[in-house]
Amino acid sequence: MLKDVMGVIYTGENDAQLRELTMTRAIAALPVAGRYRVIDFLVSSLVNGGMRNVGVIMQKNYHSLMDHLGSGKEWDLHGKNDGLYVLPPFLTRENVGVYTGVLDALRSNTNYLSRSKQEYVVLCNSLIISNPHMDAFVQYHMDSGADITLMYTKDPSMARDEYGCYINVDDNGRVTDMEVEPTHPNLPNTSMDIMILKRDFLRQLVDKGVAHGQHALNRDIILPMVQGQTARINAWEHKGPVWLMDSVQSYFRFNMDILNSETRKALFPEDLPVFTKVRDEMPSRYGDNATVVNTLVADGCIIEGTVENSILFRGVRVAPGAHVKNCIIMQDGQVHSGAYIENCILDKQAVIKRNARLIGPSAYPIVIAKNVVI
Amino acid sequence: MLRKKTCVAMLLAGGQGSRLGILTKQVAKPAVPYGGKYRIIDFPLSNCTNSGIDTVGVLTQYQPLELNAYIGSGAPWDLDLSNGGVFVLPPYQKGKVGEWYRGTANAIYQNMAFIEQYHPDYVLILSGDHIYKMDYNRMLQFHIRHGADATIAVREVPWEEASRFGIMNTDADANILEFEEKPKQPKSNKASMGVYIFTWEKLRKYLTEDEADKSSSNDFGKNIIPKMLSEKQVMVAYDFDGYWKDVGTIESLWEANMDLLSTPMPIDLHDKKWRIYARNPGYAPHYIAKGATVVDSLITEGSEVYGHVEHSVLFAGVVIEEGASVQDAVIMPGSIIRRGAVVRRAIVAEDAEVGAGSFVGEEEGNIAVVGHSVKVPAGVKVTAGQQVDAQTTFN
Repeated sequence: MLKDVMGVIYTGENDAQLRELTMTRAIAALPVAGRYRVIDFLVSSLVNGGMRNVGVIMQKNYHSLMDHLGSGKEWDLHGKNDGLYVLPPFLTRENVGVYTGVLDALRSNTNYLSRSKQEYVVLCNSLIISNPHMDAFVQYHMDSGADITLMYTKDPSMARDEYGCYINVDDNGRVTDMEVEPTHPNLPNTSMDIMILKRDFLRQLVDKGVAHGQHALNRDIILPMVQGQTARINAWEHKGPVWLMDSVQSYFRFNMDILNSETRKALFPEDLPVFTKVRDEMPSRYGDNATVVNTLVADGCIIEGTVENSILFRGVRVAPGAHVKNCIIMQDGQVHSGAYIENCILDKQAVIKRNARLIGPSAYPIVIAKNVVI
Repeated sequence: MLRKKTCVAMLLAGGQGSRLGILTKQVAKPAVPYGGKYRIIDFPLSNCTNSGIDTVGVLTQYQPLELNAYIGSGAPWDLDLSNGGVFVLPPYQKGKVGEWYRGTANAIYQNMAFIEQYHPDYVLILSGDHIYKMDYNRMLQFHIRHGADATIAVREVPWEEASRFGIMNTDADANILEFEEKPKQPKSNKASMGVYIFTWEKLRKYLTEDEADKSSSNDFGKNIIPKMLSEKQVMVAYDFDGYWKDVGTIESLWEANMDLLSTPMPIDLHDKKWRIYARNPGYAPHYIAKGATVVDSLITEGSEVYGHVEHSVLFAGVVIEEGASVQDAVIMPGSIIRRGAVVRRAIVAEDAEVGAGSFVGEEEGNIAVVGHSVKVPAGVKVTAGQQVDAQTTFN
């Protein structure tokens, strides 16, 4: 049934708020939760919802994203029909290479949209981490007869000043009011930037929008439709947890949030596994004097020191006598003996040498860039 | 016509592995979990991939379902190829005749058509009984260099254990002079590893003759190899000195798991140049809770530890509840150790449960085993060496 739905993920936006973490990679490729990239959650969610055609529109710094997604094998998206479509920018008459908004990006990939066979499209942005039941969302849309259905959350922590899209929803699920990038959000529900509509309808909207010099889907297309009641825009509430990756603080908070077992189980329900590129590491080894509490550990780590309230990615080494507290250590990071680090984010392959001390304020964690040795 | 392959591997995975007791009641031995995230078969399959052997037939007949599902398309081992790859080969009807595999040699004989498709020069015979990392390509080069008809991989074993193995007596040039199956008075301590390379033309001839011999038990060790020796074929022993561990019994499977906890690990599974691949279940990283203690252990993704874990191996999706204590134990995928339960010197098989406050195993004595999907009720005691299956009753 869901084979008639395709997914398109827009990974264009880049955000300076993430400092060194997004210097060389798109937010979608940001490593999170010990063994994933941000985009794994959405791609897995689409695939778990039965979608077999997933396009990923790329814009800047997309090398690590392409490297990560590969042929789409890990998500079973390497079929003969459909599968994973990586859509990097390219220069043609229609495509100027730099997208000012989702509309531009879709216009540039109009061939992909028209060539696809599915009747419906789920369109998502890539700054969100959540694991919604896509099949329930799609079913709701089909049953309701709406032209467009937006996914939203009531989680107040998702509200941002001058960013995002906020909505009011009536008892029938209809969107009655909408604000885009308000100075302070006034409406109670945050749009998750995930929507479903008919593929033909999307193509019409894109053509019309571009012809009128418009760039932003929410502001220029959806908002007027809500205000003028020219189309039926519904909304579906995602009741599970959701996070927006738009700053070092929100990145840090997400990782710390999932140390809570209830939150983690809500993000990783048994029937919605999250897939990622596999590294074939052996299980992690704990030494005789390891002390580890309230910590998530991926495979391939060797832990001989003390670790608390932290996230260790694949292949991390914590030497005897090293102490790691409230930290996120990405792939192959090392903390040598006698070192003490607190409130730090170590990017891939960062090394903290013997007896170094690094303590960041909890509200502003220290970011150590990739390959840096301290 | 399929393209020619220099060497095709045939993996004998049909044995029941009855010495593993209730652990192989529901799964074939090669599918038995090992080392936190692997199955025994991951080792020969990964060795093939890492050795550049990309065409592997896996001969199954006993409890093949879990093994078949595990192998799938072969993608985890990069064996999902259009030219070659991994093939599961159960016995099948041929004309009016259909029969089970009668012995190791008969299993290969029945699949000669599979091998012939690739016109190989050599055939590598493997078993799914051991944990080891071995470059089969080096062994093949050795075979070619010696102009051998058959090459048998051998590993020196402690003299006092030599009478448990098939022993090769060789001369200084590695030529095999004599093969003795489980000799009472071993003349050498070079044990056959059950890894053979044959020049295919020769093997085909001997398999065909062996099949015609009604008195033969159609076994490599008992029939094919002695016959080739008696007919003065060129047979050489290839010395292997790496880690090689039989996991054919409860005790040895437990020991092989415990080996991974010693420093340095006798078999390096961190080796990036010789990765051991496994099918990945797609779990989140494992979680060690506040109040938990984990020392000297191996833990993989998807597990949650709220209690005490010491000198143990935990597989994917295992839960150790608060107040539970696990020591010198192997807890296989999906099993739960409830509150206050104590597990010592034990193997808990897949999807099993140890009830709150129960005791499984003892500090000394044989390894206790809880079988696949078995629920040990709360507040009972499983003694050392006891094997608990669904029929076991507690009073």
